[in-house]
Amino acid sequence: MTLAVGSNLLADLLSGPRPAEWADLREEAEARLTERDLPTSSDEDWKYTDLKALAGMSFGPAPKVTVDISGHLLPEMVGTRQVFVNGHHAPHASCASAVPAGVRYFPMSHASEACHALGSIGNGAAKGLFEDLNTARFEDGAVILVPKNLKVALPLHLLFITKAEAPIAVFPRILVLLERGAELELVEEHLGEGPYLSCPVVEVHVAEGAVLRHERVQRESAEAYHLSTLKAEVGKGGQYHSRTLSFGARLSRQQPWVHLAEGAEASLDGLALLDGAQVADTHSFLHHAEPGASSHQLHKCIVDGKARAIFNGQIMVAKGAQGTDAQQQSRNLLLSETARVDTKPQLEIYADDVKCSHGAAVGQLDPEELFYLQSRGMNADDARNLLTYGFAADVLTHIPVASLRRALRQLVMARTQATSLGDLG
Amino acid sequence: MLSIKNLTASINGTPVLKGIDLELKAGEIHAIMGPNGSGKSTLGKVLVGHPAYEVTGGEVLYEGRNLFELEPDARARAGIFMGFQHPIEVPGVSNAAFLRLAYNKKAEAEGRDELDPLEFDDFIHEKIKLVAMKEEFLDRSLNEGFSGGEKKRNEILQMAVLEPKLAILDELDSGLDIDALRVLGDAVNKLQRPDRALLIITHFPRILEIIEPQFVHVLSGGRILKSAGKELAIELEERGYDWVLEEAAAGSQR
Repeated sequence: MTLAVGSNLLADLLSGPRPAEWADLREEAEARLTERDLPTSSDEDWKYTDLKALAGMSFGPAPKVTVDISGHLLPEMVGTRQVFVNGHHAPHASCASAVPAGVRYFPMSHASEACHALGSIGNGAAKGLFEDLNTARFEDGAVILVPKNLKVALPLHLLFITKAEAPIAVFPRILVLLERGAELELVEEHLGEGPYLSCPVVEVHVAEGAVLRHERVQRESAEAYHLSTLKAEVGKGGQYHSRTLSFGARLSRQQPWVHLAEGAEASLDGLALLDGAQVADTHSFLHHAEPGASSHQLHKCIVDGKARAIFNGQIMVAKGAQGTDAQQQSRNLLLSETARVDTKPQLEIYADDVKCSHGAAVGQLDPEELFYLQSRGMNADDARNLLTYGFAADVLTHIPVASLRRALRQLVMARTQATSLGDLG
Repeated sequence: MLSIKNLTASINGTPVLKGIDLELKAGEIHAIMGPNGSGKSTLGKVLVGHPAYEVTGGEVLYEGRNLFELEPDARARAGIFMGFQHPIEVPGVSNAAFLRLAYNKKAEAEGRDELDPLEFDDFIHEKIKLVAMKEEFLDRSLNEGFSGGEKKRNEILQMAVLEPKLAILDELDSGLDIDALRVLGDAVNKLQRPDRALLIITHFPRILEIIEPQFVHVLSGGRILKSAGKELAIELEERGYDWVLEEAAAGSQR
């Protein structure tokens, strides 16, 4: 029976007209989708992430709405922002005047000729169902091309806002191509109001010696589903550093896939702050395909109420990828009896000269830490809140965009009842 | 200021303190010395209310109040401070924010004005000079990735910020090179005043050459075996602890 429901959902999502651009890509994706069905808990990869409630929803067309973005602007990125509302580019809310010459930074609908790489990143990997859904139906998104050796001083801000009264589905698409030696900082932010499904797909290619720093902020509405796919290929000696911060959504899933060439570096950090009945799932895949690459992954979850966090971190070290250095940590803080975390590190190593470590910890606050703070005059509640804040804020410490770091710290303070402690900057 | 009478305490049911008597008056510096595992650190931790220890008997009065009626945080706000041997690391909370929070909690308790971040910035920049701490350590997470010596420096900085009436310093010299020990020892001396008392817990006498105590007590097996003036520290430096233990054993047989 669940299969039939799933089929209805896919059919429903595909029932709208197929956009004209990228017809071949879309046809291929649709063809694969006809063979597939919504995953259920009997699917190992979706064992703990139940999509039944999503399967029961039906989605109408996204209305064109206007939104007030003044509360979401960050000073460093006022002149480097592209805003998308309900899947469509919002030209009046966007402003890219501060972006340096040479950088191509367009809505996808304006720059189709620049998108020859679309759909080709991570072609070695299987396409996910929600990735295919995006490919079949995305309306718009952002293209970023940074030419050789250009180091972009200002961070770029992509803001995806969804506003719905009845359920709608949006498919944000992002393509980031950094040529050799280029450097960029990118902030990708998703937020909204009301019931909706958002299925972003981000494709990243970092060429030899290029560096991308990617902050990903998910603060979707409490009724939203956020099912995100990231595919990143990192060339020789290139660097890809991402930090995914999950605060919102009824159910969210992050599925990053990162492929590292020789001597490349990646960090794939994550924070999920959950309460109520929220579910946040991260299924990551880090592929050390060639020698001498290093990766670092710190994934932290704070889980309260009846919420549930899932972490499945796969690291694959290919045969011949000697000198690989891969470090993975999954650390989880449970704040209630009914909160739950399922964490599963998976290392597959086919090379013999490697330095790999992983660790997973699920627990409560450390009594020694609590006592230390109390011995400095903080009462038990303040000490608990400060430690909970610190556990989360640890992931934010190195965010390079100062105003974003401050805003997220405020958000974390509010969520960890640490606001009364004053400025913890 | 502090009056300890026949104090006994245990950890996980095992007695560690077996009847401690000690009087500390304002302006005094006392040293507790003893071999490893003697109960020295336990005494300090019991006084500041570490939850792992259970007080099983005796009495401690601090400024005339029953100390054990106060929670650990209330003891801190009442002016008791312990510099720990192994300070805890707290990622995600900047040292400066933590110090300001601790300062303001105490200021609030004493009815003084709290400091906002800018005011505190001026205040703390004076204090870090006292312990020769580099400014960057204020922006880093509390003790995270600090060396043993840097953690100790941070403990004495906290002492300078909180200005306690009773300071207990546990193995301040461990992890410190001789120059750093000199800096921190001098800082502690500068903080000492007629209305404050200091309890130095140490295994090695060398710290007592910088912070000179009026009273030295040898603690072993959960009891104070011998109390004398600072000359006892010199004798311990020369002869070690065994003779004190033997003397005590002979005394108890008599």
